[in-house]
Amino acid sequence: MSDNQKRILNLLAEKKISVDEAQRLLSLTEPGKDTGAGTSGESAKPGGKAKYFHVLVQPEAGSEEKNVNVRIPIALIRAGMKLTSLIPAHASDEVNEALREKGIDFDVRNLKPEDFEELVAALTDLEVDIKGGKEKVHIYVE
Amino acid sequence: MNYPPLFMRLGIGGQRRRLSLWLPLFLLWPVAAALAIVLTPVVLLAALILWSLSWGKTVLLSGPWLLGCLCALRGLEVNLNRGNRLLLISFR
Repeated sequence: MSDNQKRILNLLAEKKISVDEAQRLLSLTEPGKDTGAGTSGESAKPGGKAKYFHVLVQPEAGSEEKNVNVRIPIALIRAGMKLTSLIPAHASDEVNEALREKGIDFDVRNLKPEDFEELVAALTDLEVDIKGGKEKVHIYVE
Repeated sequence: MNYPPLFMRLGIGGQRRRLSLWLPLFLLWPVAAALAIVLTPVVLLAALILWSLSWGKTVLLSGPWLLGCLCALRGLEVNLNRGNRLLLISFR
């Protein structure tokens, strides 16, 4: 069950929408139909292949803060992931040690391309909105 | 396999002027290919020397990895706006 479907069921449980409306919205979230999810409606359709990872940082209206729009090809992240397989074991230990000194307890050898494929598949159904302070961060894939 | 990007679009904008440049990257690729061919024996030799230090595989495969990264650059877009100032970098 996708996040959108859960959200619709939650709205129904909270009696914010009627059964008919929930049924109509659920039918729109079926694979193969445009979900129209999110503010932009540009996110990848469930089951579709994600090509780009988007990060938008938008300041509040009238603010002088930076407006950032970054589109990263998934292929570039995938290519970057392959670097971990090229790092020798003793160098990985040094990287892990440096990360631990920075307070990040993470083993870079655990970064495997097959795990990334699973992550990309999951990302097609993901859209994150973060509101805090003067900016709004919107992360999605298309 | 993807092809490397053909153009890089660079946009810089101020309060009054905006400059948009299309840099023809495709002119660089033949030069880069010739350079790669020239450097191949050097890389192979370096890989042989460094094999005992377990860096040989890294050196040997860094070329294909770099090529993969270059090809994957197509579609990358960074757009920064602050007030009237603009910076755009895009690979097409």
